[in-house]
Amino acid sequence: MNVLIIDDEIQIRRLLRMALESKGCTVRDADKGQTGLQDAIFHKPDVILLDLGLPDMDGVEVLKRLREWSSVPVLILSVRDQEAVKLAAFEAGADDYVTKPFSTAELMARLAAIQRRQGAHDAASLQFGPLVLDPVHHEAALDERPLKLTPTEYALLAQLVRHAGKVVTLKQLLRAVWGPQAEEQSHYLRVYANHLRKKLEGSALEIKNEPGIGYRLEEK
Amino acid sequence: MNHEHRPDPDALLAEMQRDEARVKHGRLFIFLGMCPGVGKTYAMLQAARQRMKEGTDVLAGIIETHGRHETADLLEGLRVLPRKKLEHRGYVLEEFDIDAVLQQRPELVLVDELAHTNVPGSRHAKRYQDVLELLEAGIDVCTTLNVQHIESQVDIVRQISGVVISETVPDSILDIAHEIQLIDLSVEKLLERMADGKVYLGERAEHAVSNFFKEGNLTALRELALRFTAEHVDRDLEDIRRLKRVSSPWKTNARLMVGVGPSPYAESLIRWTRRAATRLSCPWLVVWVEGSRVLTPVEQDRLTRSLGLARKLGGEIVSVTGENISEALLQVARERNVSQIVVGKPEKAGRWSQSLADTLIIGSGDIDVCVVRPLAAADKARSRVPLQEPLPDSIIGEYSWAMVAIFAIASVCWGLVALTGYMFVALVFLLAIVVAALRFSRGPVLAMATLSAICWNYFFIPPIFTFHISKPEDWIMFGMFFIVALSMGSLTSRLRMREVAERRRLRQTDALLRVTQSAALAAEPEKGLAEALRTINELLKANTALIVREQDRSLPKTAHRASTFHPSPKEWGVVAWSYENKQCAGRYTDTLPESAATWFPLQTATATMGVLGVQFEDSARLDFVTRQMIEAFALQIALVLEKEHFMQAVSHAEMLSQSEKLHRTLLDSVSHELKTPIAVITAALEGMDGKQASPYLAEITTATQRLQRVVDGLLQMTRLESDVLKPSPDWCDVRDVITAAKHAVGAPLAAHDVVLHLADDFPLLKLDHALLTQAVANILHNAAIYTPAGSSIEISATLRDGTLRLVIRDHGPGLPIGAERRVFEKFYRVQGSPAGGTGLGLAIARGFVQAQGGDIIARNHPEGGAEFVIELHQTATFKALTP
Repeated sequence: MNVLIIDDEIQIRRLLRMALESKGCTVRDADKGQTGLQDAIFHKPDVILLDLGLPDMDGVEVLKRLREWSSVPVLILSVRDQEAVKLAAFEAGADDYVTKPFSTAELMARLAAIQRRQGAHDAASLQFGPLVLDPVHHEAALDERPLKLTPTEYALLAQLVRHAGKVVTLKQLLRAVWGPQAEEQSHYLRVYANHLRKKLEGSALEIKNEPGIGYRLEEK
Repeated sequence: MNHEHRPDPDALLAEMQRDEARVKHGRLFIFLGMCPGVGKTYAMLQAARQRMKEGTDVLAGIIETHGRHETADLLEGLRVLPRKKLEHRGYVLEEFDIDAVLQQRPELVLVDELAHTNVPGSRHAKRYQDVLELLEAGIDVCTTLNVQHIESQVDIVRQISGVVISETVPDSILDIAHEIQLIDLSVEKLLERMADGKVYLGERAEHAVSNFFKEGNLTALRELALRFTAEHVDRDLEDIRRLKRVSSPWKTNARLMVGVGPSPYAESLIRWTRRAATRLSCPWLVVWVEGSRVLTPVEQDRLTRSLGLARKLGGEIVSVTGENISEALLQVARERNVSQIVVGKPEKAGRWSQSLADTLIIGSGDIDVCVVRPLAAADKARSRVPLQEPLPDSIIGEYSWAMVAIFAIASVCWGLVALTGYMFVALVFLLAIVVAALRFSRGPVLAMATLSAICWNYFFIPPIFTFHISKPEDWIMFGMFFIVALSMGSLTSRLRMREVAERRRLRQTDALLRVTQSAALAAEPEKGLAEALRTINELLKANTALIVREQDRSLPKTAHRASTFHPSPKEWGVVAWSYENKQCAGRYTDTLPESAATWFPLQTATATMGVLGVQFEDSARLDFVTRQMIEAFALQIALVLEKEHFMQAVSHAEMLSQSEKLHRTLLDSVSHELKTPIAVITAALEGMDGKQASPYLAEITTATQRLQRVVDGLLQMTRLESDVLKPSPDWCDVRDVITAAKHAVGAPLAAHDVVLHLADDFPLLKLDHALLTQAVANILHNAAIYTPAGSSIEISATLRDGTLRLVIRDHGPGLPIGAERRVFEKFYRVQGSPAGGTGLGLAIARGFVQAQGGDIIARNHPEGGAEFVIELHQTATFKALTP
C-alpha cells in the first residue's frame, strides 16, 4: 500500500514512516499542504494521512482541493478534538478522523478498515458482512433471511452500507434520504436510525453513533 | 371544482392565530342579561361549580350577592377572594383585588359586574380593564354584564328608557369573548320576581327605578339583548362558514368613515358607525379635520372625549388639517377607499349656506353618504365642565376697546366733517376696522363693523341724528359700507386666525424636529436626550422624566439623569405598569389616574425602550393634540434609544467575536504544542514495545498517560472558562449519549456493571450531544475509579415538566460529608484518592452542563453510594411513534 503523510512535524512523520514501513507499506511524506497535493497528483497514493494544522494552508482546504479530482481515502490526524472541526472535515470528504495523541495500533486498524472498504467498494455491490441489499427491488437480506424494511429505512440503510465502516454525517444522510430541504430535521434520522438498530439487533452489524457528527455502520 | 371547497387560507390562518392567542391568553366567558335581576350571577356560579367538579381551579374573585340567599348558597364550597380595602377621603372602600388573583393564578376567576367603575385609587379606572389584564396573564375569566352597559348600545338604551348610562364597557371586550351566554327571562317573570323583592335595585331613587322597570322598557331591552347575542352568534357562524367553505363567502369591501368635530353629537355618530361597521364586519375610520379656528377648552374637552371613545371602540383615528371640512373628508375617503361616509343630520336647513351633509353628498361621487340623526351627548352625566363657558377677560377687553375706538373716531370726525365731507368718515371707520381685525378676535370686529355703520348713519349721513337716509345714493352707499365693513372685518380676522393656527402648527413641527435632531444627531447621546427633554419642557410647560430600560430589559431604579422631575416611590408602580403593558398610564388616563404624571411607553415597532413621564405645571386636561404630540416625541426618543441600543449590541458582538477568535487561535496553538510531543512519545513507546522489555518503559508509559489526561483536562477547562464554548443543541437520543460516554471512558469501566434504566418510549431531546457525552463520561470515569471493582453503576433518565433528570448512582463508599459541593471545584480531590487524577473531571462536567443552561449536583444516596444528578431544561421533545 502506498501511503502519503502530510504533516509539518518531522518527528511524527518519522515515527509514522517507521510504523507503516514495518507493516510493509511504501511511504512518502510532505511537510506542507502544497507539496502534499503535488505528491498526491504525481504518485497516486492509496491512502493519505493528513494533519489539519499545516504551515501554508489549513488541512480542510487541502482536503477540499484534493476532492475536486480524487476520491483517494483520507485519514485526518490532528490534535483538534472539537466536534465542529471533526464535522467540517467529514463534510469535506474525510474518510476517518484520529486525534493526536493516537495509539499506533488503532491507527493501523483504521487504515486496514479503509483498505478493506476500498476493495469492497470496487465490487460495486451493496453488501456488507451478512447484509445484502438488492438495489433493484429495494429489498434487504440479513444472514440470508429477508429483512423487512420501509422505503425510508431501506434508503437510510443503503446510504450506510454504501459508506460502510466510515462516518456518514447527519447532514449527508438527511440530504441523501430526505432531500436537501430536510438538513435540519435530524430528529427524523434519530428515529429511523433507532428503528434500523432494532431490526439489526442480534446480527454482527452495529450502527454506531458518533456524538455530534453522524453514524457509522460497523461489524462488531 | 375541488378548490371551491378548499378553506380560505387567510381565514384558516386568522383562526389559527386566534386559537394561538387563546392558548396564550385566558378565555373570557360573559353572562349577558337584559337588566339586573335576570339571574346572571346565579347562572355564572352554577357554571363555575360545574367547572370545579370537572377539576378546574376556580376562584371567586368578586361576587355581588345583593343579599339573595339562593346566590349566596351557591358560593358555598367555592374559594372566595377577600376584597381589598382602600381608603378614599376618609372612607374605607372595598374593591376587587386584582394583584391577589395574579399572584394566586387560578385557572378560572369569577368577576361579577364587568361594567363596574373601580374605587378611586385602584389600578384601573374600570373593572373591565382588570379583566383584560387577567386575560392577558392567561387566566380564564367568567363575568356578568347587562346589555345597557355595552358602549355601542348606550344611545339606544337612552332612547328606549331615557336613562343615561355612565358605566360602560367597550364593544371590543365582547369581540374577544370566547363565549357569550344570554341569560333570558320573560318580562312577566321578571316583574313577578321584582314584586317578590328578589331583584336588587341598587341605591337609586325609587321613582327612577320604577321608571326604568316598565314593561315597555323591559321588552325593548330584552329585544336588544337577544338581538345583540344573535349578531354575535351570526358572526361566529360566518367565521365557521368561511373556514369550512360551507357556501361561497360573502366578501365585503366596505369601509366606513365618520367625520367628527368638537360638537356634542360626535359621540353618538361614532357609536352609530361602530354598530354599522360591526354589522358589516368592516373596518371604520374616525376623521377629525383640524381647521384654523382655535378650539375653546370646552370643545377641546369634547373632542378629546369623542376621539377617546373612538379609540376605545376600536376605530382608526385619522386627523387631517384643512379649512374646508367636506373637501378634507372627501380626500381622506378617496385615499382610504372608504365606501360609506357617515355624517350627522343638520338640525336646521341652512338658508344661505349648504350644510356639511349637502356638500358631502354633492362631492361624494361613487361614495355612499349616510346621514344620521345624532343624539347630543349627555354632558351633564359625564363631565364636570359646564357647557356654558364664561367669556374670557381678554374678549371683554377687546369689546370695550372696539367701542372706545368707534366713539373716539366719531368724536374726532365730528369736528372734521365740515371740511372733509361724510364720505371721508366712512373711510376712517373702515381703516379702524381693518386695524382692529389684525389684533382682535372675530366677535369684537364684527360688533365694531355693525356699530360703525350705525354711527355713520346716525351722526354723519344727512339728515343727521336720525337713522333716516333721504338720498337714494346714500342708501346704496350705506349698504355698501355695511357689507364692506363686515366682510373686511371677517376676512382679516380669519386671515389672522389662520396665521395663528399656522404658527402653532409650525411651532409643533419645529419642536418635533428639534427633539429629533437634538436626540439623534448629538455626538453624546446623554446630552442629546437632555436637550430633547428640555425642548419638550419648554413647549409643553411641563416637567419630564425619562426612564430607560436596562440591558436585561428590566427597569432601572432611578430615572435618567436628564429628567427634570423624579417619580415618587408610589409613581414607580405606574411606570412599571405602563412599561409592561405598553400603554399610556397615569394622570388623565383610565389607568391609575390618581398619579401626578402621565406616563407614555417608549414604544418602537419591535421593543419598548422605556417610559416617558410628563408632569404638567398647570393644565387641567390633556387634549388630543398634546397627547398626539407627546406620543410623537415618545416615538422619536424610543427610536433614538433603540438605535443606540443596536449600536452598542453591534460593537459588543464585534468585541466578543474578536476576543473569541484570539482565544481560539491561542488555544489551538497551545494544544498543538502540548499534544504533539505527547503524541510523539506515545507513538515512540508503542514502537519500542516488544523490542526491548525494560521496566523503565512501563513507568514512562504510565507517566505519559497521566500527562495526557492532565493536558486534556486543562485544555478543556481553559476552553470552558474562556467562554468560547458554544453549545449547539440538536436532536439526540439519551441512549446514544450514554453509550458514547461509556465508550469514551473505556478500560476503567470494564470492571463495573453499568445498568441503564430508561423508558422504552423515551423521547428525543434537543441537547448538545458532545458536551453532555463528555460530562457523563467524566462522571462515569470518576465512579469507575472511586468504587470497588465489580460494584454496579446505575444510570436513569426521566423527563418531568420539561426537565431532563439524568441520575448516575454508584455503590461505592460515597462522598465524604461536606464534600458534596466541593467535588465540583477545580483541582479539588477527595482525601485518599488514587494517584493520577487531576481534580478537574467533575469541574469540567459541571462546566459542560452549565454551558447548556443546566445544573449538576452530587449527594450521597440514602442507601449508600454517591449520586450525581444532571438537570437540563428542555424546550422541545420529540416522541416518535414506534413502528
